[in-house]
Amino acid sequence: MLRCSPSIHPGSRLFSTTPAFLANPIKAKRPDPNSSGPQKGVKSLKIKKKNTLRSAGRPPAPGERKALRKRIVLSNTNALEVKGMQDLSNDNMADKQIQGTVVGLPGPLVDQLRAAEAFRTGQGWGLFRRPGVLMRENSLEIARDLQDVVSGKKTLRRIYTGERGSGKSVVLLQAIAMAFLKDWVVVTIPEASQNRIAQDLTNAHTEYAPLSSSTTTPSQYVQRAYTASLLSRISKANSAVLSDLKVSLSHKLRIPIQPGTSLSHLADLGVRDPDIAWPIFQALWGELTSTKAARPPIMLTLDGLGHIMRDSQYRDPAFKPIHAHDLTIARHFVDHLSGVRSLPNGGAVLAATSASNVPFAPSLALAIDQRLHPTTSASSPSPSSSSSLSSSQQMPVWRKPVQRNPFMTYDERVLQSITPDLEIVELQGLTREEARGLMEYYAASGMLRHRVDESFVTEKWTIAGGGIVGEIEKASVMGPRV
Amino acid sequence: MRAAWLPKLGSQPLPPWISFQRQAPRRPDISLFGATQGFRRGAVVGTRRFATSSTRNGIAAPEISFELKDDQKGIPRYARVVPASPSYFTGKPDFTDNLLSLQELLRKHQTLPAAPPGQVPRIAWKTLAQYRLLVGEPVKASKYHKIILLLQRLNHIHPSLLPEEVKLAMAPYKRDINPHENVANQHTADRFGRVIGVGRRKSSTARVWLVEGDGEVLVNGRPLISTFPRVHDRESAIWALKATGRIDKYNVWALVEGGGTTGQAEALTLGVAKALLVHEPSLKPALRRAGCITRDPRRVERKKPGKLKARKMPAWVKR
Repeated sequence: MLRCSPSIHPGSRLFSTTPAFLANPIKAKRPDPNSSGPQKGVKSLKIKKKNTLRSAGRPPAPGERKALRKRIVLSNTNALEVKGMQDLSNDNMADKQIQGTVVGLPGPLVDQLRAAEAFRTGQGWGLFRRPGVLMRENSLEIARDLQDVVSGKKTLRRIYTGERGSGKSVVLLQAIAMAFLKDWVVVTIPEASQNRIAQDLTNAHTEYAPLSSSTTTPSQYVQRAYTASLLSRISKANSAVLSDLKVSLSHKLRIPIQPGTSLSHLADLGVRDPDIAWPIFQALWGELTSTKAARPPIMLTLDGLGHIMRDSQYRDPAFKPIHAHDLTIARHFVDHLSGVRSLPNGGAVLAATSASNVPFAPSLALAIDQRLHPTTSASSPSPSSSSSLSSSQQMPVWRKPVQRNPFMTYDERVLQSITPDLEIVELQGLTREEARGLMEYYAASGMLRHRVDESFVTEKWTIAGGGIVGEIEKASVMGPRV
Repeated sequence: MRAAWLPKLGSQPLPPWISFQRQAPRRPDISLFGATQGFRRGAVVGTRRFATSSTRNGIAAPEISFELKDDQKGIPRYARVVPASPSYFTGKPDFTDNLLSLQELLRKHQTLPAAPPGQVPRIAWKTLAQYRLLVGEPVKASKYHKIILLLQRLNHIHPSLLPEEVKLAMAPYKRDINPHENVANQHTADRFGRVIGVGRRKSSTARVWLVEGDGEVLVNGRPLISTFPRVHDRESAIWALKATGRIDKYNVWALVEGGGTTGQAEALTLGVAKALLVHEPSLKPALRRAGCITRDPRRVERKKPGKLKARKMPAWVKR
């Protein structure tokens, strides 16, 4: 390049052959901040996505989505009112006539059940005009058993187990409903509720503290917030019964209890102050099981038994897992279930396993399996000798004898809590008659638009794996879920 | 190559596939070609050995001995090797011979009465690939089709009048196993009234025992619901019964293995349908309409080199 240097004589120019690199470097162009063009060295390819959804409003508040998810809808205004549907009552609950029919739950009872958190999401309550339950064989059986409890002041102790969708939780709900109708005191530990979840009892989501008064080893732990919510549930659901019952014993509590205080008020004291919730619960339980005054029978239920039949997620000061049975509420339930503590005024202790939210509890599974299929009386597989199996006969199913897995460590506390006198009921599918009654209810509600006849019922019954009630509902009312 | 000594040609009987007599007037005798156009001239060298190593003996045909035997003493030394069949010069001699011989046979027997269309025996002829292996020549499909047409025409001759030579001529073209003679085993109910049906789909196999009953189903000893959590699969499994309205008439006890959930469910469809056909053969049209008769032959397509899956190409990279 040739460069013209400034000359001595203006107007004339010197000729120079200085190489170009001696020249002042050309300054790089500054990127114009106003220009919208792509900048050098910066990747600028932007592929516009179609239909990008811009959030219009504010995001949902914390907990809002969960509340929506956990919301329990008990009515569908678009469903038809079923004409001639009976209500569940004291008179008809053990009546053989209503087996296989759907009975409605009366309004006040629904409120009580809601307060006891007996309803669960996903049970299809929101499909029909008002809550109704199918009276199946097991429902009538529990109704009869509750009558026996009242007459004999016995304690009914039972675990419901069965396949997913076989109706364990709903049978539990029916038992709770019957207990409410009989003016029992019902204490529920539901599997999943809006505030406290049964697995919350053991999954370390609520605060805990060692029980100061406990002298036993291993030491006990109390969950004050959970106990307060349990007391709130008891108080709300049983307010009618508890407000009529007065305190009859003297209690050593931090706050004075006036003689003549209603038990409902006693429970509310614990709701208000979680610090004393556990002593209040003990006092309330003492009152309810007292034989000095006239007390109604008690129903104690828990859904999702597996959660309290293993180590909890809580840790002790040495950072070892705390066994669920060392948590006071779980211990309270297990003691009553296994018969260590009794209900002197009679009552029922019912538990249901869960098949959809199953914690790893091999000891419970083993204990239940051993009880359901005892090796001593196991019949050998026998080939069917008849030419065709009649409807009353079950197809022979050969099962492996239940044995301990040698590579598994079992929890002896759990195995011992499933005592031999504890009843274990495995829920089977509905009978065809019951399935038919259920489907007729679906059709009468306008949710099933198909003629309910023999072949249709059998078809759905078979597809539902032999009348598993949850699957019948899925196959006939809910339709395909895509 | 079949070879013969030319001077002996006249004295020996010709094999049947050679039709010199017909072709002779139309073209000159094959031996009239000049010696330079024919076979290798090395033939005249006689005693010279061509083999370069002794191992050759093991893999190749023995050398042609050009030493004269006693009975050939009178033959002149400078003789050419000529092909046994004039078809040698067509490039596909065996094929041509075959075609010509079949044409000859047909010409000879075409006046024989044909069997009525329904009574012609069904024969599976060799496939083109099998025929190519047989003759060792690159025969085209269209050419082989000519042979097949001739065979079919010959096969149409009434079986009672079919000459023995036609039977013998057709035999090499038949497949070793005639699939048309393969008749499915007829299943029957056993003494308990159970009928077994086997169904397959993808890589699943289902064995189904169907017995008169009231709609109970056990698959691998478990209820339908624990085997197939999806409603769709459960419907597939008993689709044959559902489509014919027989759910409440039979009990199913089945063993399924291999494959995934869908394959197992659809293998059951086929197995149930086959067993149902034994109980009620008249349901076949209904089952066919429901799609329960035909086995779906599709399997997983194999992966190919250069592809990520069976067909998926790797992503395009600029460099």
